[in-house]
Amino acid sequence: MRAQTLNRATPYMFMAPAAIIMAIALLYPLGYMIYGSFRDWNPSQSIGESEFVGLKNYITLFFDPAFRESLSVTLTFAFAVVVAEMVIGVGLALLLDRNIRGMSVLRTLFILPMMIAPVVVGLMWRYMYHPTVGTFNTTLKSWGFDGIDWLGQNALLSVIIADVWQWTPFIFILALAALQSLPRSALEAARIDGATAWQQIIHIKLPLMMPVLIVTGLLRLIDAFKVLEVILVMTEGGPGLSTEIVALRISRTATEFRELGVAAAMSNYLLMLLLLLTVAMFAITRLQEARAQRAARQIQED
Amino acid sequence: MLKVLRQASLGVVSALALTTAALANPYEEYAGETLIVNFPAHPHFDAVMKILPEFTKETGIEVEVDQLPYLKMRERQTLELAQDEGEYDLIAYVVFSKADYVYADQLENLARYFMNPKLADPAYDADDLIDGYVYNIGFAGGNKGYLEGKTGSLFGIPYGSETSVLGYRKDIFDKHGLKVPETYEELLEIACKIPELEPGMGGLSSRAASGHHASHAFLLHLAPLGGRIFDDQWNPIVNNEAGVQAANALKTIVECGPEGAASFGFGEALGSFLNGDTAMFLDTTVVAGQINDPAKSQVVGKVGWAMHPMGVRRGSQTGGFGIGIPKNAENKEAAFLLMQWLTSKHGDKLVAMQGGNPSRFSTHADPDVNEKFPHMATFGEALKHADPDWRPIIPVWGKINADLGTTLSKVLTEDLDVQEALDGVAERTKAVMDEAGYYTWQ
Repeated sequence: MRAQTLNRATPYMFMAPAAIIMAIALLYPLGYMIYGSFRDWNPSQSIGESEFVGLKNYITLFFDPAFRESLSVTLTFAFAVVVAEMVIGVGLALLLDRNIRGMSVLRTLFILPMMIAPVVVGLMWRYMYHPTVGTFNTTLKSWGFDGIDWLGQNALLSVIIADVWQWTPFIFILALAALQSLPRSALEAARIDGATAWQQIIHIKLPLMMPVLIVTGLLRLIDAFKVLEVILVMTEGGPGLSTEIVALRISRTATEFRELGVAAAMSNYLLMLLLLLTVAMFAITRLQEARAQRAARQIQED
Repeated sequence: MLKVLRQASLGVVSALALTTAALANPYEEYAGETLIVNFPAHPHFDAVMKILPEFTKETGIEVEVDQLPYLKMRERQTLELAQDEGEYDLIAYVVFSKADYVYADQLENLARYFMNPKLADPAYDADDLIDGYVYNIGFAGGNKGYLEGKTGSLFGIPYGSETSVLGYRKDIFDKHGLKVPETYEELLEIACKIPELEPGMGGLSSRAASGHHASHAFLLHLAPLGGRIFDDQWNPIVNNEAGVQAANALKTIVECGPEGAASFGFGEALGSFLNGDTAMFLDTTVVAGQINDPAKSQVVGKVGWAMHPMGVRRGSQTGGFGIGIPKNAENKEAAFLLMQWLTSKHGDKLVAMQGGNPSRFSTHADPDVNEKFPHMATFGEALKHADPDWRPIIPVWGKINADLGTTLSKVLTEDLDVQEALDGVAERTKAVMDEAGYYTWQ
């Protein structure tokens, strides 16, 4: 009897170290954040001294126009950059999926932006966008056009361009890897059947790459929701609140407004939103897989 | 023989002098202690770093400095001050931290130290410290909770204090026969005349970027134009006539300023003046060093200084840093000695000669300091009009400041109506104040 219990417990005991570390490293801070979000807590207090306020932080935020605006800025930013990056990244991968001389050098060059520290990226773009001495406006002016007020009137667009510049390579290398691991047989069969390059891309390459692309897109989306440094350095959220994404607002709420409880509640809203997106994304993939399986079964039955 | 005798007597005299010095040395008890202090990375404190070895030489107390960017410093201090035993013996804090630290009971009341005859130097001459700064940076518990007043007491001493002055390009003003503006009307008129007279040059470079920058620039104009954020009952009055005037002044300045001025932070605003892209600069006194530094500035020797122009009253800003002793410090008495030494007449002059911002009237009038830095006399005059109440120093200010700054940025970039914008700020401010309990007695 004892031996049996022990036997049954063995696998759990093997898992225990990992589970404990996981609980400490992941659940503890998360729990702390959730606990903190129900309190009126300023950074000069320890969490124990703070006052319990129930759902007040969440309710205040829900009706706070500034938070709503920053949420909508975040959504616009995240979807715009992910769509742009996916289109450009996958496009580049399709174009460069061939044997060209010096391809490996090109590939390294393409992924350089990703390796630069975000603060540096922010500073670099901020100076390139500078209204009088920046690269863009001096070039435009030398061509006889008017300068553009990049970080003033077009701040969100400018920030999106910078992010696209930095993160397209991420999509590019993953898409390229996916392309190169596609089954050659399927492509050959298509070629023999006389499919044009476009038809190959639309009917074979893209559908086969889809699982990888979905995960890649999801990773980028999650990251785009949390981007902070580049925007902080470029615009500090301005003008007005036009580029104040949620991550920036959280950081300002904690440090400038000194409302740790509200900042924690905001983080939880963001977490819930991301969870929702992730679950939805996986549900879609599941659905697609199921449909594909059903189709495959039907073909077999026929 | 005579020579030997002279040498011997010299030796005896110097030995005697040493013993008397040692006997009267108030620092003796603390010699060999090491103080850990937290200072910001800031021109004034860079100058302080140069005079600290002098302190160690005179007192035998070692000083270790943790120098951080000033916003980072505040975060670090917030964490450090909440511990049972803190790492820092002395901290430099920004003005708006005063409210938070004192309210959370994290700074030592300095009365105990100034009462202690073994610590307090009778020659300190506290009356020589600039009044506005002492109240602005050091005082808490007085009128409105953050100003001078019968119920207030001292928690810190201003050190590295700044006010606002007008820097102008002497060459440009001479060339076009312009008079240095003394009033706001003249200031705005000249600011918009410059771009016509000198194509490609902006009138006045001001910070205007969303958030703290825009708010700071607005407040600079609000006090001289007769406005305030709150009345005596904590009701927001930022949307009254003076407030609208100040916001319009900011708008005019940005419109007549250098290209892209609406997104300028402090760095860009200063940068465009240093590059010679604008004819005037109205901001803190701390920039004087950089303007005279040929490595950073293209306008060395071309800049004149004048008082912050007057609206209905004089009211230049009070800002910068103070130094205080954390409640959880380990070596509080030695920290007080350092604090007293740094802000004494002797220490204040030393730091001024290294390019720091002095905190005493006497240092501003000192002939040596004025010879090295001719602008010091104007700065000293400006300090007399420094307004300790140009912005409220209350714990919820951070939030109100951010709202004010983003809303003004909308005025500057999205053509939001000034009155409507300020009405919105006033309404939201009222809600913040209500929640913080400021209307409990109404």
